[in-house]
Order: sequence, then C-alpha cells, then structure tokens
Amino acid sequence: MLSIENLKEYGADVEEGLTRCYNNEEFYLKLVAMILDEPSFGALKKAIEDNDLTAAFEAAHGLKGVTANLALSPLRDPVIEITELLRSRTEMDYGPLMTRIDEAYKRLEELIRE
Amino acid sequence: MLKELNESARKRRILVVEDEAINRLMLGNIISKNYDVVYACNGQEALGILNEEKDTLSLILLDLLMPVMDGFTFMGEIRKDEQLKKIPVVVLTSEEDAEVDSIRLGAMDFIRKPYNNPEVILARVERIIELFEDRQLINRVEYDETGLLTRDFFIEYVQQMDSIDKEDRDLIAVNIGRFSLINEIYGRKQGDKILRITADALKDFLAEHQGLACHLDADQFFLYCRKLENTDDLLKIENDVSVNGEIPNTRLRFGILRDSSKETETEKRMNSAVFACNTLRNNFSKNIAFYDQKLHDDEIMADRLLGDMDRALAEREFKVYLQPKFDIRGDKPHIVAAEALARWKHGKLGMISPGQFIPLFEKNGLVRKLDYCIFEETARIIREWKEKYGCAIPVSVNISRVDLYDKSLKEKLLEIIARNGLEIKDINLEVTESVYMDDDDDIIKRIADLRDTGFDIEMDDFGAGFSSLNMLYSMPIDALKLDMKFARTIDTDRKQYYVVKCIVDFAGYLGVKTICEGVENKEQYEAMKQAGCDLVQGYYFSKPLPEEEFETYIKELKEGLC
Repeated sequence: MLSIENLKEYGADVEEGLTRCYNNEEFYLKLVAMILDEPSFGALKKAIEDNDLTAAFEAAHGLKGVTANLALSPLRDPVIEITELLRSRTEMDYGPLMTRIDEAYKRLEELIRE
Repeated sequence: MLKELNESARKRRILVVEDEAINRLMLGNIISKNYDVVYACNGQEALGILNEEKDTLSLILLDLLMPVMDGFTFMGEIRKDEQLKKIPVVVLTSEEDAEVDSIRLGAMDFIRKPYNNPEVILARVERIIELFEDRQLINRVEYDETGLLTRDFFIEYVQQMDSIDKEDRDLIAVNIGRFSLINEIYGRKQGDKILRITADALKDFLAEHQGLACHLDADQFFLYCRKLENTDDLLKIENDVSVNGEIPNTRLRFGILRDSSKETETEKRMNSAVFACNTLRNNFSKNIAFYDQKLHDDEIMADRLLGDMDRALAEREFKVYLQPKFDIRGDKPHIVAAEALARWKHGKLGMISPGQFIPLFEKNGLVRKLDYCIFEETARIIREWKEKYGCAIPVSVNISRVDLYDKSLKEKLLEIIARNGLEIKDINLEVTESVYMDDDDDIIKRIADLRDTGFDIEMDDFGAGFSSLNMLYSMPIDALKLDMKFARTIDTDRKQYYVVKCIVDFAGYLGVKTICEGVENKEQYEAMKQAGCDLVQGYYFSKPLPEEEFETYIKELKEGLC
C-alpha cells in the first residue's frame, strides 16, 4: 500500500510535497496515486515512438509540472531533462532517457498498485 | 471599505484554470483555505464559466499550456470584453520566457511551478486581489456632499455584496417629487438642504435594514437593502424629509426592484428601479411602485419599433388595408368609398397592431413619414384599379396633426396625385376631431386651403372628445365621421339614438355628410339607417382588407356600374 515511508524509499522529496498539501498525508498520497490517471505519461511515450517532438514536448511539460509539484524526484529529474531537450526540438535518440523515465514510472506504479 | 462588506467579505471566489488534475486539486486545496474555488480544465471551459459568473469572481489563476484553448489565447479573449478584463489574472508557470508575454497580455503576477509554500501563494493572491480592488477605486470619490456613496462606488459595492452571499435584496430608486420646483420656489440652498435631509433619512433607514445608499445626481437616490417585509418603512423616510425639510407635503417616489437578481448587471437593475419610479410621475395617489417586467417589455418594444421604422419603410413592410364605406340611403347598401388603414407586417415580429405603433409614431412625430407612405401607396392602388378596371372609388387617408404643420403638405399631396395620374377627388383626407379643437388658426387655414384645392375633408372621431356642433359650420368639413362609441349602443340606448339623429339632422342641414364607423351588427346598421346616417363602415359589412382581396369590390363595380 502506498505510504509516506514507501515514497521516501522510492526517493521522493516527501517533505517538499507534503508542504504543498498543508502536511495532509492522506491528501498527498491521494494526489500521488492519481498520477496513474494522468494521460501525459502515455502521451509522451507515444509521441516519442511517432517522433512527434511537438506533441512529446507538450506531454513532457505536463508530466514535469505534476511530478515537480508532487516532488517525485526519481521521475521528475529525467522528465525535466527530456522536457528541456524537447523544448528546442533536439533531434536525438530519446531511447535511453525514456528508459529511465519508464523505469521510474513503473517503480512508482508498483508502489501505488501494491 | 464599508463595515458590512468587511464583515462578510472573507470568501471571495477564484477561478483556477489548469488542465492537469493533480496540479488543479493541489492549488485548489491551497487557496480554498481562504477562498471559494471554481475549476476549469482549459481556456474554453473557463470562458464559459466567466460568462455565467463574471460578477462573482475576484481572480483567475491561469495555466498557460493547455489543450483546447491555451492560456495565451484565453487572455487575448478576455481582453476583448470590457467586463471580463476587469478580473485580474495570475499566471501559473515554470517558464521565465512566458512571463514577459503574459505581462503584455495583461497578467498581473505569476505563481511559479512547482508551487511555493502555500502560505506564500495565499499571501500573494490576497495582495493581488486587494491591489486590484483598490486600483479599481482609486481616483474616484467614494462619497459625495450628501454623505452617500457615489455611483461608481455604489455599483462596485453592490457587486461585492452580491459576490459574498445570495441573500435576496431590494434595489430601490428614490426621487423627490417636484424637486425642480422646490429649487425654484425656495432657492437652491433649500434644495441642497432637502437633498442632505433625504440622504440622512436614507442612512437612518439603513441602520435598520442594512445595505447601501447612493446619491446618483440631482434628486435621484438608490437603496440596496435586505428584502423589505413592509414597504411602510419607506413612508417614514418621506415623513422625515417632509418634517425636517420644513417644506410641507414633500413627496418621495420609490421604485422597487424586488429580489434583485444577481445575474443582471447592476446598472441594468438600477435602470429597472428608475423605470418603476418613473411610472409614478403623474400619479398623486401612490408613491411606491414595483418594477413590472411587462411594462418594461412594452417600453423596450416601443424603442424597437421606433428604431425599425425607417428600415420598415424602405423594405415596404407597411401595408395599406382598405375598409369599404357603404351608402345606406337607398334600398340596398352599396359601396361608394373606402378608408386606407396602415398595417405593419414586421419582418421578424409578424403583424403588429396599429394600436401599438400608430400612437407611438404620433407621440414621436414619426407618423408623418408613415402618412406619406400610406398616401403614396393608396395613390398607387387607385391608379392600378383605373388601369385594370377603368374605374375606382375615393379612398380616404388619415392626415395627422404633424402633417398639417408642414407648409408644403399640399404641394406634396398634389405631386403624388399628379404622378399617379389621379384626380383630387380620388383621395379624401381624414383629420381627427382633436386637431380642430386645438384652436390653432394656422392649422385650420391649412385644412381650409386643402379643401379649397378640391380635397374632401372628413372630420374623424367626431364625438370622441368634447366637440361642439357649431364646429360643423365654422370649420372646413365635408363629412363627419361619428366616433364608433355611437354605434356601440345606438340599438339599445334610445337616448344615444336621439343624439345620433340630432347630429345627423344638423349635419344634413349644413350639407355635411355623416359616416358612422364601427357598425358591427344588423341592429346597429338598422338604427343608423333609421337615424338617417349617409354612410357606414364596420365589421358588419367588411373588416379592413388587403388590397388583393379588396379588389373584388372594384371588379363588381366594374361589372355593375362602369
């Protein structure tokens, strides 16, 4: 079950996230769990596969905002990285970066679904 | 700021426009500590909410990158609207570059993403709202010399009160009867004193009923207060003004808009209250009136009709309907003339009753244009009869009082007659009785001149006012049209019958024909015939007909007479 301890182990900056929620743990955990309903992760993956850098930027930007507000550092950091590359529409192999994002997302997903 | 506003002004409303649900809820949770929050997922949804609730919103927190309509487009849209652009916008962004563009589009400030400490966000939001409300009020004078709110402040505070709670309130327009006379008789100083006393009385009233009072200008005041259980409380205001102002019988008028709707703009509501108040202008038996939607709709309709008149003339929406006049002197009534009546087939509103537009046009002097139009159309119809059937009957056209002020009236009518190849006897002129009673020599001379030129003059509505029989020999008249009130009871009221018979006989001695209008049944017709009336017109014989239908009579005439 998703808990503050689990998120700490995951590497999230829980203090920061909780501050934004007036230290209401229940509310914070509810928001973290909602990330599975966020369409931006799926949209980013698909846009990268289609090599649609504009759509990929928009999705990455959205995901960045959410992960940064929730202070989910392991996911947030590679997402910030890819957002900046996509902002300038850099033509490159996004595979390795997407793998990092994918792994961080899946770890989080497991925590939520546990 | 007013005490009452301060007491309950805590919960202002903020619209959060953000497409990411997590961010939306997080921000909403932060600000809901001190504010009511409304949410939208994108610019378009936000515009929809603004249109419904713009009066109740104090701030918009706006994300920039959103599907459907982004934040930049949204700001561009609200800048186009005078009302919407008054609501301050704070942009939610993680991009420094976007800040410059946002400022250009009118954003007041930024909240950085990821969000700061909630207390910092709250403080920022509070500061922006305060700043903005202060800015709105700066450079304006809050109270005038009577000590009441000025117009702009009143409107502002009414809106703020409405955004705070949904309590039903009355908006009351107050003005002082005969105020200009008070100024004139007792002097300006006394007039100003009455204004101050009225303001004080309104303040005393508010001490009990809570709300706002405004002095708009001259003797126009407004109250915005809790719904009144008993309007007698307003009479106490009047009594205070009368006693303290030392002018006996000073009257106040009160126009009340009940349960003043929060949906409507404040200025519109003020107009409605004034509208109610104005209905009391010539009423000396009461001084409180409630706003009546129907009355107001009538006023709006009148405005619309006046505005539409020129277009309707250009697009030929005014139609001539013809009502036949029958000669009843012989064994069998037969058609000898007709009256042209104006009908308006409005492009959007359909058929409009002449009772609705003719008095309106008469009041505004526009009836002149209509009269010429009807005269012109009538001339065309008669010309077409002559061309088609080789015969016609005289048609009478109404001439209004304003037409008779026109020195070139005769020339204009003769020009139309000549242009259509008609003779003067083809068109008769009907002039209403009240014109003769004005005692205006110039007007009577002009009627006499038209008669001398060859027009048959019919005095319309004879008996509707206070006409006198001696007018029949002192005025230029060829025929007398008895007002329809005579026909209404001639068959049942013997006295009325003798009145008609007397008029008919007297007119007969002077060689003036009598025409009776409004004959609706056989009994009325027979009584008129017995009284010796020459011609009749009315539903018993025929209602007014469009020209195509009326043409049947001309065809029959041709077969019988021509």
